[in-house]
Order: sequence, then structure tokens, then C-alpha cells
Amino acid sequence: MASSDKKPLPTPASTGGDGGPPGKPTIMSTMMLDKGAAALQSLRPVKQINQHVCTFALYAHDPQRQVETHHFVSRLTQDVLQCPVYDSDDKNARLIGVEYIVSRKIFEALPKEEQRLWHSHAHEIKAGLWASPRVPETLEKTELADHMAGTFGKFWCTWQVDRGDRLPLGAPALMVSPQAERIATVLPDLVRKRDHKYSFSTEELKAARADVEVPADPRPGQADYWVRHHKGFAVDVVPHEMKRHARFP
Amino acid sequence: MAASCHDVDPVPGKPTETGTSLLETATGAIQGFAPVNQIHQHLCAFHFYGDDMTRQVEAHHFCAHLTEDVRQCLIFDGPDAVARLIGLEYIVTEELFLTLPDDEKPLWHTHEFEVKGGVLFMPGVPGVVERRDLETVAKTYGKTIHFWQVDRGDALPLGLPQIMMALTRDGQLRQDLAECVEKKFGVSFQKERENRAYMTGPAHGIHPLANAAGKGLKTSIREVDLPDPTTRARVFT
Repeated sequence: MASSDKKPLPTPASTGGDGGPPGKPTIMSTMMLDKGAAALQSLRPVKQINQHVCTFALYAHDPQRQVETHHFVSRLTQDVLQCPVYDSDDKNARLIGVEYIVSRKIFEALPKEEQRLWHSHAHEIKAGLWASPRVPETLEKTELADHMAGTFGKFWCTWQVDRGDRLPLGAPALMVSPQAERIATVLPDLVRKRDHKYSFSTEELKAARADVEVPADPRPGQADYWVRHHKGFAVDVVPHEMKRHARFP
Repeated sequence: MAASCHDVDPVPGKPTETGTSLLETATGAIQGFAPVNQIHQHLCAFHFYGDDMTRQVEAHHFCAHLTEDVRQCLIFDGPDAVARLIGLEYIVTEELFLTLPDDEKPLWHTHEFEVKGGVLFMPGVPGVVERRDLETVAKTYGKTIHFWQVDRGDALPLGLPQIMMALTRDGQLRQDLAECVEKKFGVSFQKERENRAYMTGPAHGIHPLANAAGKGLKTSIREVDLPDPTTRARVFT
């Protein structure tokens, strides 16, 4: 039916045009309805989002395809974070997936099979790829040194915008993080583009984080499985009997 | 607010430390959150797994309009601050759904029944206001993917992403779940059904390929050989 590593058939939904999502711009009455509803509803889970991280991710089935990502983070406990991920930080950003972030302690307790789906963050933080727009580096460094450099992420991408999909097509794709290995390096042009937009320098961030501590074993268990084994992961959606207790559809 | 209608293990980890909390209060004040600030609507509905109708989830959607015809929603397992982000949903008009490739259509579901059936609702919003938008929603198609299987009690988002389906007729929604949600939010699905009897679904009727093509589907994962890193710097075509 669909696979994360197969390009969708050409249709108006899959061929780029200007790449923007289809549909008329949101009309005034819709906006008013939205605003009215928003005034009556508390939207509490969304209000917990209090951090914006800009970084890069690679497709687990083709790590040469890479995207700049914008994570909007909320914290569940000291050891678990959850983030909707967008393709930019402006109001027209497309929701491209979700990433979960856990501490090393939680990661190490995961079953082996599960660990293969998770990636480490130490490299992308030390390399200055992971950045918190608008936050002064000094503030960012304490948190990074203490927590994030030792965390692990699991990131599913549901909209492959970089291949021009105008709508979210196909199976969800597993994403992985930039690593030191050649197969896992972020394309310089992507980094340059990001730096230019935010007027900061990944190189400088890297230098500032020179003394951020990373664990002696930054890749415990099956973390970053793909890099060590040179094997990617692709997800398929296949027809399958639906267990049911009533008629369907 | 009453506890979740699901029995989930608490999220593991120590309670948030003061230092972390302070830092995040600061980032919350300094940084920009434009994409998330677009979220203006909270909808509660039910999803079930593409390969198992008997496993059902109370799904709280927090939605934003990307355009007049496309919405994108974050799905949480509850309406409160400690809710887990369990998935997401994209909602498009019938017109856009029809432009999807035929092998994509089965991953999408219709909203007509859950809207007209009264089981999809906007907590806190008076019926008159709610119905104005739901008239539109009834004609749309959605693609829902869940990452955290709270209905089986998972303390963490384990396993593969799951393509979810929505209710399409009477008899599918589990009574225990329905009653729990009605009670928690003080709503009556039956009453809402009566109020929404006038609404209509997609103009062309429910597409036969939607809703898992009327059958079922599931996700699986496989290892693949990676392209040679020396063929670098190509433009994706």
C-alpha cells in the first residue's frame, strides 16, 4: 500500500508546484470560528510546549536526504520529553512528525529491538547543529551539559516535504540524527542556509560546546543501529485483516 | 478532571527539577512558537487501530488550519497539562482527498459518521458554535498516525507508528469508553446526534478506497541497504 522509502505516484498531491500545501488561504470566517473556539477552550497540553530547538534529521532509509527540523518541546518528567516537529518556525510551518526524547537511564531499560529505533544526541549537540533560537548560549549550555547531550530520541516523520509532497503521503518514516561518521554528516548547504536565516554560526556553537561532557560510551545498546550496521529502516503499510467486533466500514 | 479513560502506567522518570523548570520557563518566554500558536481548536474523538477495531483510544485533537482546506492536529491522550502526545492527524477536504494516489487513499478515513453520530465534539464549546465547524468536518477525510499505544498501558511510545481508523457505523464504539467520555465531559452523544441530523457527508459519498479500503491495514518495518555515501550532493528528483 505504502512504504516510507517509495516515492508516491505522480498526482497533484505528490508533485511540488511551489511546494506549499494545497487549498485556499484560510478565510476570515474560519479564522473567527477558530479564535472563538480558542477563547472557550483551554488547550492545556499545547500550552506546556516551552522550548524550540532547531536541528537536522536524516531519513533512516536514505540518510543522504536530510531536513532542517523545528522541535517544539514539552516535558513530561525529568527524563521524558515530547515534541511535535515542524519544517520551519513560522506560522505556515508544516507538521512533519513527532520526536520523543528520553534520558540514558530510560533508554538503557528499553528492549533491544526497540532501542534500534532510537538515536543519540551527543554528536549533533557537540557539533553545534542542535540550536535553540533566541536563547543566549550561556543559558543553553548548562541545560545541554547536564541533560540533553546524554539523551536519546525516537523520531517519526509523517510528511516528506523535501521530496515535494504537497500533502502528507505514504508510510511514516523513521528519522535518525547526524553523527560523526561520513554517512551521517549533514550537507554543508543545509547548515549554511540555517545559519544565514538565524544569523548564527554552527561553527561557533561547536566551539562554545567544546567542553560539554559526553559519556564515555555515547552509543549504548542498540542506539544508532543504522550507523554501526550500515543498514537503514523503511516502514511499510500493508493490507491486513482487521480484528473486529462490528461491521466495517 | 477525572483520570484518563485508559489505564496507563505513569510516564517514567523523576519529577521535573527546579533548575530545569526555571530554564524552560525562560525559554518559554524568550523563544518564538508560531507554528504551535496556530493551534486554535480542541476536538475529542475516538480512533481504533487499522488492524484491530477492538482497541480504541480517546483522542484529543489540537488543530490548526494550514490552509482553508488542510488542517494539522496534535493528538494527546487527554485535555490536561500532563497529557501524552500520542499521535497526529491531517484533515483535508473531499476535493483534496480525491487528488491522492489510489494507494494512499486507504490510509485515510472519513469523518461523516463520528460527526453525525455525535461522538466527535469540542469540549467547552456550545453546540451552536461547535456545529458550524462540524458541518465542514463531516465532509472531510483524515489521516491519523499514533506513536504511543496508551490503550495497552505502554509507559513509553514503543514500537512502530500505527495508522488509525475512525468510526464508520453504529455498534463499533465500545460502550465502556463512550460512557466514560460522556461522563467526564458532561456530553450526550445521543443528544448531539439529534442536533446534527441535518448535516451531510462528502458530496461524492464515502470513497470506497478510504477507511483502509473497507478492510484493514498495519505497519511493518524492514532493514534496507543504504545508498553508497560517495554518490553525494545529488538533488532529489
